[in-house]
Amino acid sequence: MDLRAVFYPRAVAVVGVTDTPDRVGYNLLESVLSGGYRGPVYPVHPRLKEVQGLKVYHRLEDVPGPVDLAVIGLNQHATVEAVETCGRLGVKGVVCVAGGYREMGDEGKELEERLVAAARRYDMALIGPNTLGMINTDAGLNATFYPMPLRPGRVSFLSQSGGIGLMVLRKAHDEGLGINKWVGVGNRSVLEFADYLEYLAEDPGTSVIGVFMEGIDDARRFVQTAARVAGTKPVVIYKAGRAEGVNYAALTHTGSMAGSFAVFRDICRQFDLFLVASASELVAACKALACAPLPRGNGVGVLTHTAGPSIALLDRLLQHGCRVPELRPETLDKIKEVLGPNPPVVLKNPLDGAGQAFLPEPYGRLAAALLEDPQIHLLVGIHCLHRHWRFPSRELADLAARYQKPVLACYVSTWEGAREDRELLQEAGVPVYTSPEEAAVGAAALVHYGRRRGVSVCGP
Amino acid sequence: MDPKKMIATVRAAGRHVLLEDEAKSLLSHMGLPVNLCALAAGEEEAVAAAETLGYPVAVKVRSPDVIHKSDAGGVWLNLGHAEAVRRAYREMAGRWGPVAVTVQPMAAPGVEVIAGVARDPQFGPVAMFGLGGIFTEVLRDVAFRMIPLEPKDARAMITQIRGYRLLAGYRGRRGVDLTALEEILLGLSELVEKIPEVREVDLNPVIAYPDGALIVDARITVA
Repeated sequence: MDLRAVFYPRAVAVVGVTDTPDRVGYNLLESVLSGGYRGPVYPVHPRLKEVQGLKVYHRLEDVPGPVDLAVIGLNQHATVEAVETCGRLGVKGVVCVAGGYREMGDEGKELEERLVAAARRYDMALIGPNTLGMINTDAGLNATFYPMPLRPGRVSFLSQSGGIGLMVLRKAHDEGLGINKWVGVGNRSVLEFADYLEYLAEDPGTSVIGVFMEGIDDARRFVQTAARVAGTKPVVIYKAGRAEGVNYAALTHTGSMAGSFAVFRDICRQFDLFLVASASELVAACKALACAPLPRGNGVGVLTHTAGPSIALLDRLLQHGCRVPELRPETLDKIKEVLGPNPPVVLKNPLDGAGQAFLPEPYGRLAAALLEDPQIHLLVGIHCLHRHWRFPSRELADLAARYQKPVLACYVSTWEGAREDRELLQEAGVPVYTSPEEAAVGAAALVHYGRRRGVSVCGP
Repeated sequence: MDPKKMIATVRAAGRHVLLEDEAKSLLSHMGLPVNLCALAAGEEEAVAAAETLGYPVAVKVRSPDVIHKSDAGGVWLNLGHAEAVRRAYREMAGRWGPVAVTVQPMAAPGVEVIAGVARDPQFGPVAMFGLGGIFTEVLRDVAFRMIPLEPKDARAMITQIRGYRLLAGYRGRRGVDLTALEEILLGLSELVEKIPEVREVDLNPVIAYPDGALIVDARITVA
């Protein structure tokens, strides 16, 4: 089975294309055409002549060149026949959007078995069924029925749900985080999470992998594969189905039970996998890992001019095994050079620079003092949007480069107020967040994978 | 007795659950510290066993028909003399007829924990550890790990639970032998690896001491 051919197809057929945007088939074609994909695209429909400016082929057999990927927007019954035809014609892989298979009970199960048999007969990769589709920005390919702007990047996502998968895509876009590949894994009838993980582990375009999962049947293989992959590329997991009583909802969604969350959580700990609690945390963690270098320890320094956000940040940091070390006397001396000998705040970590930290220049000097402290392996800088006082972005970007330690910015702001700063900082390897909760998860993810990579960690 | 042979015998008798003495002999075979129990077919044998083991003793009904022994009134603890053993036996015989019983010395008090193996439908064999009594049943303060366990996993299971401080020692109380508990967890992992017929194990309670630990009751389900 050739997954590379599916993610980087030489030509794409959209089977079941329609001529009105209220149907899935039309949107599949629009996505493929609007994503920047350079290879030939062949719409297929038995009667239509032209859709979105392209000639429509009446049968897959009529398409003039070899097709690597067929995106199938037909109903669940017609999809089975189309997959068989694809196999016969030498198509390498198919995306099957239709639902109505094993998540629907016995009748659907039988249909799904026929679908799987057809794919296996021709050793064809089958994404789904019951999926939004697949994206590879590396090939300009959006093979979902959601045409949307996509920012290319280094993070790839696997999602058991189209809806949460979309949340992740939209949130990533909002956060200025580029994505590389995205797969709605659907019912995982042929390709399981573990198969995609193995592919992404070897994929040069991917440096971080985010996973949203509800429940899977072979959880043993999943954690073992994820742990192996996480040895070279960070894997972040968001598992839904935490409450008891969601099994039936999960089963009727993509055909697998959610299982016991306590067991899942503990086994992730056993395999040292980083688990988050929401889609926004998933994006926050992946952003930090894609943007910043890994820290050489778990000592976090926090600089702020307002205490509250630093306390909210600490809550999460400490939960995740980060330390907030005391500052060394040398560091305190450097801080006093900025704040004066008798500052109106207690000098500690998190460091509240109060009025002195409103302005970028002293803020930068305080941040430098913290970064020079050998106990501090990572810095989070908190600053609030103000009409007259600019964010200390140039300072943080310069310091990140000078000290070669991860620096994260937590700007109490909306993106509207911080978009330019964010672009500058993230380009410089400083991930920016608008909430302390997300900044904390980003920092914790870096500390986790710093430790996992065997960089020395001080403290417990 | 060879574990495979014993399990074959149990299965031949149409059973899936090992009786306490069978379970303990299997665990003992794996090198785990169990409070071994003597078998007694009737009242006189029960008294003789108690005299040999020394009082106080625990006497428990031994019957494949009585799985939840305590709930059914089939567990008699802290029997201090022959007359108490006889009374316990007669009470049980009144309920179940001339039943067999097991007799074992009462374990010294310590911190009660539970350890076990469950079959998770998605992860397969999973080890479980928690404090005994309400901590596990009511508060669900339990740790899980996928089998096979490595030594670091066994240690992490013990330190992860919220009640860990009760094991580590607090307010001047001595802590318990964590290594002994780790060895029990690793032994369970090895048991499942070596004898895959073993489906589920429930060691409840295990009594942890400052020096060592003792498996006081055990239930094993086999395929």
